[in-house]
Amino acid sequence: MAKKDSGKEPSWKADFPIESKRATHVSRREFAKFLGLLSGAFALSNGFIVIRAMAFPDERLEGEHFVVDADKVPVGEMLQFEIGGEDLIPYILIRLEENKWRAFEQKCTHLTCAVRYREDVNKIECPCHNGWFSADTGEVLQGPPPRPLPQLEVVVREGKVYVREGERENRAV
Amino acid sequence: MSNFRKSQNEAHPNKTNTILTGIILLQILFISMQIWLLFGALNNALEENFGFALTTFIGSLLMAIASIWLLRYLPEPLRKDSKNKPMVSPSRNP
Ligand code: FES
Repeated sequence: MAKKDSGKEPSWKADFPIESKRATHVSRREFAKFLGLLSGAFALSNGFIVIRAMAFPDERLEGEHFVVDADKVPVGEMLQFEIGGEDLIPYILIRLEENKWRAFEQKCTHLTCAVRYREDVNKIECPCHNGWFSADTGEVLQGPPPRPLPQLEVVVREGKVYVREGERENRAV
Repeated sequence: MSNFRKSQNEAHPNKTNTILTGIILLQILFISMQIWLLFGALNNALEENFGFALTTFIGSLLMAIASIWLLRYLPEPLRKDSKNKPMVSPSRNP
């Protein structure tokens, strides 16, 4: 009887086939493998950005777009308008002075909240996280936005306001 | 079968531990750098910085290859060698 049993596992062991020592060991191995997988996923998503940048280059705004009659916007006021085919991009038109117009994309470069022009301080404010842009150039003055606001060039002809893609550095996309 | 690896493992039971910890730490290091690169690429791709996106991708890919290649050095799991090990006999045979 004793001889017969000596090579065999006790029957309860069959119900719990994993040694605790072995279990912890395997899970760490699996963790390492998971980390490898995660690392690969990060590389992939980085590659995805590259592919996206190659496949869908940002389009320039074609031609001039009529916005509004000039006398409808008083000095120091801001007007919202939209341009675009399939997906409309919101812009703001600001009349800083009698003959000084500015047009910026309305989406904050931080987390795309809608920015607005504040006449009292002559700056553009993003109310979401207290970001401020220059109303003249669109540059970031303060707060979390990482990039200046994309800008459009404004042309006034015969009392009508048009916008078009400018040659400026932070051009609208 | 006894071999070099096995006797090493028996002589230095902590070694497995150290190797695993080292591998995991290295991988965490790689991954944190990848997160950093990805974050930068996301921000810069918005600014049409194609070169940056490509560079971060290459860097990230190298790190992914490294961290997967590290898995080669994962120590073998402790195997239950029922043939070589004397089994504990059940208690009813004192
Ligand atoms: S979304 Fe504009 S500051 Fe955060």
